[in-house]
Amino acid sequence: MVKLTIRRQDENAIWYDTFDVEERPGMTVLEALFRIQEKQDGSLCFRYSCRGAVCGSCAMLINRKPGLACRTQLSDARTEVVSESEKEDVLLKHSNKDEDKYEILVEPLPNLKVIRDLIVDMDHFFRLVDSIEPWIAAPEDAGGQQTLMEPALQMQIEKYTNCILCATCHGSCPAAERDGEYLGPAALAKAWRFFLDPRNGEEGAEKIVSGVDSEKGVWGCDVVYRCVAVCPKKVPPTSAILKFRDELK
Amino acid sequence: MIDHDIIVIGGGLAGLRAAIEAYKLGADVAVISKVYPVRSHSGAAQGGINASLGSDDSWESHAFDTVKGSDYLADQDTVEVLCKEAPERVIEMENWGCNFSRQKDGTIAQRPFGGAGFPRTCFAGDRTGHNLLHTLYEQVLRAGIKVYHEWLVIKLDVDNGRCTGLIAMNLADSEIEAFRAKATILATGGYGRIYQRSTNAIINRGFGISLAYNAGVPLEDMEFVQFHPTTLWGTNILITEGARGEGGYLYNKDHERFMERYAKEAMELAPRDIVARAIQKEIDEGRGFPEGYVHLDLTHLGKQKINERLPGIRQISIDFAGIDPVKEPIPVQPGQHYSMGGVTSDKDGRTPMQGLYAVGECACISVHGANRLGGNSLLDTVVFGRRAGINAAEDVRSRLWPDEDGLLEACRQEEIRISGMIGGEGENFASIRDELQLIMQEHVGVFRNKKGLEHALDRIRKLKKRASGLRVQSKATVFNFELMNALELQGMLELGHVIVLGALAREESRGAHYRTDHLERDDENWLKHTLAYKGDEPLLEYKEVNIGRFTPQRREY
Repeated sequence: MVKLTIRRQDENAIWYDTFDVEERPGMTVLEALFRIQEKQDGSLCFRYSCRGAVCGSCAMLINRKPGLACRTQLSDARTEVVSESEKEDVLLKHSNKDEDKYEILVEPLPNLKVIRDLIVDMDHFFRLVDSIEPWIAAPEDAGGQQTLMEPALQMQIEKYTNCILCATCHGSCPAAERDGEYLGPAALAKAWRFFLDPRNGEEGAEKIVSGVDSEKGVWGCDVVYRCVAVCPKKVPPTSAILKFRDELK
Repeated sequence: MIDHDIIVIGGGLAGLRAAIEAYKLGADVAVISKVYPVRSHSGAAQGGINASLGSDDSWESHAFDTVKGSDYLADQDTVEVLCKEAPERVIEMENWGCNFSRQKDGTIAQRPFGGAGFPRTCFAGDRTGHNLLHTLYEQVLRAGIKVYHEWLVIKLDVDNGRCTGLIAMNLADSEIEAFRAKATILATGGYGRIYQRSTNAIINRGFGISLAYNAGVPLEDMEFVQFHPTTLWGTNILITEGARGEGGYLYNKDHERFMERYAKEAMELAPRDIVARAIQKEIDEGRGFPEGYVHLDLTHLGKQKINERLPGIRQISIDFAGIDPVKEPIPVQPGQHYSMGGVTSDKDGRTPMQGLYAVGECACISVHGANRLGGNSLLDTVVFGRRAGINAAEDVRSRLWPDEDGLLEACRQEEIRISGMIGGEGENFASIRDELQLIMQEHVGVFRNKKGLEHALDRIRKLKKRASGLRVQSKATVFNFELMNALELQGMLELGHVIVLGALAREESRGAHYRTDHLERDDENWLKHTLAYKGDEPLLEYKEVNIGRFTPQRREY
């Protein structure tokens, strides 16, 4: 048996519920949440889609760390020691004592408003990402010819195109915590992807650089690499931010 | 009431491509999706997208491979469109920013895929779908196309034989709203989740297909369900055909490369139906590993190639099976993967219902026939998505707005229907769904026969009765997923019913439909498409296959 303690919220009411779930080998936190939703409490809500760590829907806080529920094995999560939060709403006492090793704490992703239970306001996150105008402004008629690109450059860009916009980086970011208008790691990583891309042209690249040159952009970052640490796709937003800073110097 | 010239239901590749084209032609177009578009299942496609870009390749050769792969059930006029337009569409996606893998000379890299006579599958590592989906979404953002995300469409409205829009529920507050449209494009993907083992996203429940079916549009060739040969044992997450394209081997428990017995020439690169049956047979006859899998071995490819060409596969194997394919073979088993059948539609995405189009996996334009070749589904979405966008945009130019009254009345009725499902005594969706998935897996899978299909039919009829008393206990109005599940289950049961009935009637083996009691393909009686119309029992009719330049012949690899 695994105990999942889940932070619930409905409008202004906030509480924690604990559910027992029978663990099967290989079971993930997402599967456990389904088990609860289907057999114990149909009102529990959380987002999901691919269950294979490619769509980015099920980002949440698992044992106080941002991650994808579909990618987190119960067997790994239940033996983790959960750090005490600095916040006052903590009512859970976790330690490394044996009797506590069957508990997993599940909470919504931080730094975004909670809509209900584990569902947060992703519109805010997407608005920040979209504000960098993340697209190639290809001409209406590119002449039907492929753009040639060095394999090495393609692979450099790939580090950033791997982003699935799950917002775990945003949920781990101290700058996003203190400033709701800070563009955030995902948007800045994406900006770097479009800066690197030769299909965007010089004009496009200049526009991107000027769009991130502010305290809301690359200068707001604390360079603590939390976003890099939590990214399920190994995207390095902090590297992008530091490279932008070099460009701007 | 919300008005748009064109509403696209579904925010995956086909839907977004349709929306972009309609927008470019001046239509007021909106996309409505039950998830954020970048969460669509298109993003899970790994291996690639086919186009005859090579100087010694040709669209005719691509078309022949596709038709042969389809076991001659594909309509050859639509296959011609698919293969002719492929290079243009792929280059367009490149121009729009898709991060394709490159050859040394900077051109788009291509890899071999099953059933193809040429390495014509363009790819972006093993995250091709992800790259294409994000690229199209970026172009949708650029255009400023309106997206209604996290809305579940619950009914298509029909007036005088014409689709006039839809009724949808906003998942964020459970409010039900009427959307009026001069044209509606269905692009809602497949129904993988009616099977217990599927590579599909959990959201793929075929609800869009059931919306069309309930509105009176026939479904085509639903008995043709593709099982991907290599899905990760346990979770059935896709292990791309690209893994075999890059040189992976399949071994049974005795370390035999068993494909030798089934496709001597093509080996691991035989089409999916053949490889899936081979693996299932090895398992069924005791030559698989006891837990029901075989090995897909990539270790000889080396770490560098695996990291360059198959990084996602490596990560998935580590995350979900605790196996690093650089060091150990991957345990794989066949799983449901793709729906060849769907809402019947033509090469412009037109369904028989005026004002309604269907594209992508939810549609049956019949380019895939009885068995789809890998790399052709991503292509299908962008080719036919664009064509539907063009045709819908032309169609709406001369159209007047449909009458409001019908839509408002339909909206009221849906409100009553849905509030009637909440509270009170009755069964929860989960047990009925679990049973449906098990029945489909056991009796309507890689191998089928009369006895099993009759049994499945009987059980699905009973499940449908039980589902009529379905109740939702949660009264939450904000993201009530219990309600969404209950609504979608009703559609899943309809589709299961159609698939089983079509499979029972089709007394032959063709492509992915393999009857152990009718082992041969029977062109004399069964070279035809199945059409299923909604009734208490689905009503089956048949229509001719469009044969063009390629005369049906025996299929060998």
